[in-house]
Amino acid sequence: MALFLQRLFDGLSEGSIYALLALGLVIIYRGTGHLNFAQGEMALFCTYIVYQLGEWGVAIGFALALGMVAGFALGAVTEVALVRPVARRSMFAVFIVTIALFRGLNWLDGAIWGDQVLPNSATSKQTQFPSLFSNQPKDFWHILGANITIQSIGILTLVLSLTALLFLLFNKTKLGLAMRAVASNSDSARLVGIPTHRVLMVSWGLATSIGALGGVVFAGVNHTVNLGLMFTVFIYSSAAATLGGFDSPGGAVIGALTIGVVQNMVAGYADQWVGQQMKIGVAFIVIVGVLLVKPSGLFGTAKVERV
Amino acid sequence: MKPMFTMRSGGPGSWALRLCVAGVLVALAIWIPTSSADPTIGYCLDAFTLMAAALSLNLLLGYTGQISIGHSAFFGIGAYTTAIGVSRWHWSPFATLPIAFVVAFVVGVAVSLPALRIKGVYLALVTLALGLVYPQFLKWKKITWLTGGTRGLDKAGFNFGKKNRTYSIFGWKPFGDMRANGALPFYFWIGLGIVVVAYVVCRGLVKSRVGRSLIAIRDNETAAAVMGVNIAVTKGLVFGISAGLCALPGCLATIRTGNVVPDSGYILVLGAIVFLIVMVIGGAGSLWGPIVGAVLYVAISVRTSQWSKNTSKIPGIIRPFFSWSKVPVGDGIFAVLLILLMFVAPFGIVGWCKVTSAKLVRVVPRPAGTGTLSPKAPVSAEA
Repeated sequence: MALFLQRLFDGLSEGSIYALLALGLVIIYRGTGHLNFAQGEMALFCTYIVYQLGEWGVAIGFALALGMVAGFALGAVTEVALVRPVARRSMFAVFIVTIALFRGLNWLDGAIWGDQVLPNSATSKQTQFPSLFSNQPKDFWHILGANITIQSIGILTLVLSLTALLFLLFNKTKLGLAMRAVASNSDSARLVGIPTHRVLMVSWGLATSIGALGGVVFAGVNHTVNLGLMFTVFIYSSAAATLGGFDSPGGAVIGALTIGVVQNMVAGYADQWVGQQMKIGVAFIVIVGVLLVKPSGLFGTAKVERV
Repeated sequence: MKPMFTMRSGGPGSWALRLCVAGVLVALAIWIPTSSADPTIGYCLDAFTLMAAALSLNLLLGYTGQISIGHSAFFGIGAYTTAIGVSRWHWSPFATLPIAFVVAFVVGVAVSLPALRIKGVYLALVTLALGLVYPQFLKWKKITWLTGGTRGLDKAGFNFGKKNRTYSIFGWKPFGDMRANGALPFYFWIGLGIVVVAYVVCRGLVKSRVGRSLIAIRDNETAAAVMGVNIAVTKGLVFGISAGLCALPGCLATIRTGNVVPDSGYILVLGAIVFLIVMVIGGAGSLWGPIVGAVLYVAISVRTSQWSKNTSKIPGIIRPFFSWSKVPVGDGIFAVLLILLMFVAPFGIVGWCKVTSAKLVRVVPRPAGTGTLSPKAPVSAEA
């Protein structure tokens, strides 16, 4: 029982980080139907900014706020300057632009901050990347024989409250209504007077700033930031969004937590067979299985095409 | 604007142009392996690897419109088929090439089955999953007996032995010195052969009835199905052939270095992204696009690789733009180039050249029924 709970907790805390990026992916997909391949790298860029602010002595809370603002700006500018002009041409062009951003932003991080792991003793004043939650070795709760760190609880709470806030945003505010209208049919939305362009800009900004939060949280868990930090997280979060359905924020969070838990359970209980290497394989086999039965994910709405 | 020149397709002008291009290419292919330094031949091999991989991806993405970010897995299948065959079972490396094609073909057809149901973003992610899982699968402890796990396999290339076998035709040594490290010209010919095979297969497919149904699927799948294209068979075929062709450069990579490890080079999923970039820069949906893209990619990567370490290597005019970067600037250049291309020329450099040259030269197509492939007997009304 204790072992089961431990694996459950580990899985949940892993999954909650994927959930943060998956939420961003879903917000963008809902708005424009694009997969933002650069979501992880945009988040990483903001994480580097937060690191730099930390070097200049800004406290982590304030630095995070600035980083999220930078993320909002980055997302909004990307949408207006790069995605919107080529979106008229084709979906494929947008996909290529996000691939270009994926490589380009990663290069930019390296060009500015170098390709070594930061902070390191040679170049930085900080000893480790600041964590949002206290993560001393003694900071954990003991529940039925299993240990769960304060940090994991903090992140999980953060994710769940963020999901609740997004739910309120989508369902109770005028902006959310406009976003849903654009997602459902952008031409009709424009005809009834919704400023479609501004709504899309805000969607991208919001998504990137949530991604930035995810990046900072994950860097805090790892204590460091490096160029490869967000790639795996992006992969898992896109898997989570696929599993939950690309147009459902709640689905994305459930998908992310499920992937985290399934991975840890399988790797733990079937160690002889699966082990650490193939746990990613198990996660993806589950996803492909789900997609074959429900091609739009667990909670996604099926697309009906008019011929 | 009226075109300045007019050229008849299949006329003397077009044949002269084709002969010129072919002559230059053949001259290059003979000159490079025999008369240039080893690093240059090595870069050519890099370019061949990318050419063949991007050609195979182009078949799937450029012509059929199925996004794949998992071609690194097919590349890896090729690399490991050769490695396992040569290292474990002592086959000839040449014998492993067709086997690699068949293995990758089967896997490709298997991937096409979910692709019948899963579309767009979801398909891109399924192929991404394939690309991600494959290197992990190689390290899986139940399969280590075959793949060698994290350490990979070695002694997987040609074993030239102690003898220095040198083939010479009137003093011209096409294969170079065939010793452990001196056989680069020999690998050059293998690489060239693989690219030619990939090109010929792609050209044959694209210019045939199958090719037209691929384009129909890309442009509108539902309409294609209504017009009588068998979607399942066509997709299965194109996935299979694309995967099989992508395995061949994987074999080349193993043959060349003689060893293979799971976390290296184009076997990782980043390799699939490089193939994608090469293809799009050159031109998606054109036969020469991947070839031009690969040459450009290798040329820029090689030229800029030392810039971040030694700023004096940067040409003076552009030095201020690049000297501040702490890592090689190649990736940055490709990213900017990709975005620019998407704005001005979504079909890549070759696509742009086609559009531009169409303004200068008007190519008059052959009248229907006069080509070399015209039917012997006129099709009668009853048929």
